[in-house]
Amino acid sequence: MRNRILMSWTAITLAVILSWSPVSMAQAPSRAGTVEQTAVDPEAAIKAAEAAAKAEDTASAKNWTPPRTAWGDPDVQGYWLTATYTPLQRPAALAGKAFYTEEEAFEAFKKAVEVDASVNPSTVHYDWKEYAMDGWQSPVRPNRRTSLIVDPEDGKLPPLTPEAQKRQAAARVAAQARNPQVGVQTLGNLYTRCVTGNNGGPMLRGGNPGSDSGAAGVTAEVQLVQIPGYALIVAQSNDDARIIPLDGRPHLPSNVRNYLGDSRGRWDGNTLVVETTNFTVPGTNFNGGSAATKLTERFTRIGPNTLRYEFTFDDPATWTRPWTAETILPRVDPPLYEFACHEQNYGLMNVVKGAQTREAEAATKKD
Amino acid sequence: MRDRILAAFFLATVVAVIESPAQTAPTGLFPAYTAPRTADGKPNLNGIWQSLTTANWDIQAHGAQPGPHPEIMGAWGAAPGGQSIVEGGEVPYRPEALAGKKENFENRMKVKVTNDPHRYDTGEPELQCYRPGVPRANYMPFPFQIFQNPSEILIVYEFKGAVRTIYMDPHREPPTDSWMGWSNGHWEGDTLVVDVTSFNDHTWFDRAGNYHSDELHVVERYTPISPYHIMYEATIEDPKVFTRPWKVRFPLYRRVEDNVQLVEFNCVPFVEELMYDPVGLYRPPSK
Repeated sequence: MRNRILMSWTAITLAVILSWSPVSMAQAPSRAGTVEQTAVDPEAAIKAAEAAAKAEDTASAKNWTPPRTAWGDPDVQGYWLTATYTPLQRPAALAGKAFYTEEEAFEAFKKAVEVDASVNPSTVHYDWKEYAMDGWQSPVRPNRRTSLIVDPEDGKLPPLTPEAQKRQAAARVAAQARNPQVGVQTLGNLYTRCVTGNNGGPMLRGGNPGSDSGAAGVTAEVQLVQIPGYALIVAQSNDDARIIPLDGRPHLPSNVRNYLGDSRGRWDGNTLVVETTNFTVPGTNFNGGSAATKLTERFTRIGPNTLRYEFTFDDPATWTRPWTAETILPRVDPPLYEFACHEQNYGLMNVVKGAQTREAEAATKKD
Repeated sequence: MRDRILAAFFLATVVAVIESPAQTAPTGLFPAYTAPRTADGKPNLNGIWQSLTTANWDIQAHGAQPGPHPEIMGAWGAAPGGQSIVEGGEVPYRPEALAGKKENFENRMKVKVTNDPHRYDTGEPELQCYRPGVPRANYMPFPFQIFQNPSEILIVYEFKGAVRTIYMDPHREPPTDSWMGWSNGHWEGDTLVVDVTSFNDHTWFDRAGNYHSDELHVVERYTPISPYHIMYEATIEDPKVFTRPWKVRFPLYRRVEDNVQLVEFNCVPFVEELMYDPVGLYRPPSK
């Protein structure tokens, strides 16, 4: 639910409305009458996701060999979906259990979708069963893992450093003591301000950033492109494009900072390894991490329609040790659409105006 | 001896120019050129490219001029003079449409941020960090990088990190109007021809107020003419605004510096004060 409210803050661009459909993307979105059953009926979506997971398991098991590009590199290209219902951290009830059985995985997926698809009309101002407003309407798949975090082994974020504890406490105090004249930079985050999207940096959850509610996200598609010497990742969310040279060149000098960081890639067997540094400020998918983060991502094809995605946060200013998460990205159909977020960011303006009104009212009551 | 070598060089050049097919030597300045091929046998356009025109200030011929706020910006805000990139020099506006250009120029610094859908009526889109559209993205003073595959060619522009995809095979239908338009491409000999449609009417061609409607249709031609140059041509058609189709044409230069790369130009944070302060929505944490 929190996810949904967050999302309503953001510019709901056309891209959001159009951006997925399991099979139907080949059909023009204007022909709304042909929307798949899996996009309007949660039970149909659950069944389809289970079938897709089983089919992919079978296809991947048959001596499947990952493809190569025409110039001989492993081929990780395609359109992939980062949405997942697997929580970042392992729930306490599953302590000691890193994997579900297939049956348990399907059951957990079913529950998560049903919760996500339920609507409390008193708190929601959109019809969330409208097409493309919920993660379950996408080709999101069940996952045998009980948490995205695979290291540390307990599936939990490592302890914060004392410095990070102080920093995060100070941020909480600052948020509470906010200037009553809130503005776009004090109320908005990088995502709601359309500075970066929800996959710019770690392609985490694919959901609405900052949320740990367990709901899969929307606008979770990413496209991987390769040419000799380069990889390119284009995220549907905010059209964030990360260019990754593969020629071993050094990073930009540390005084040059980018919102999407500065990426360098290399091949490790069939795996594309991307190291990103030079972040400007921690983005919304950084889980409270700092700009000092070195993000290492690993992309490996493990089946005809599945890309394994691993990422490691190495941020000694925040966590006492690096931590690693892993998820599976199902293939989705092309294309991506223009995500002109800043060009029409009514959502941000309305939310800031609303917050100013609320805070002015609160100040009047105090007097 | 030296003379003879020079003469031989000269002769070779003349022969090359004479023999060059029209499509690969559009300027006459370059000897016949066949671009290196990608794995699928097409001319390889991969690389980081940039135009060296002043068309972003004005696509037509213009003298140097002070910026809109010389009292604070001095020479920083001034516009360099430059020659027209428009074939024949002038944009063929319909008589009634020419006033729109003048109005745009007068209102170029006006930012009207409201929930009014007509807010795009004022203000230069670049000033507000909006996507620049096509062909403007190709002559902004920023580099861009081409990623060429048989099925799709992607272009990532340094300005705003704008992205566009040129669908080669299969072509795809545009879902709706957009800032960068919808691009389907094909090869004609060594020339990449891109048909761009489904534009909205919010982008401008330059800071001088040259504009179009949502009936804009652009056909681009990218022809490699040396290892370091692509000749770029775009035919612009918009019956609502122009009396006939017209062309812009300029070379793109390959960026060849060691380890050259695009450096992020995410201008959204640079324009928040400009856009949101007048409506009372901008209060940085320190203010």
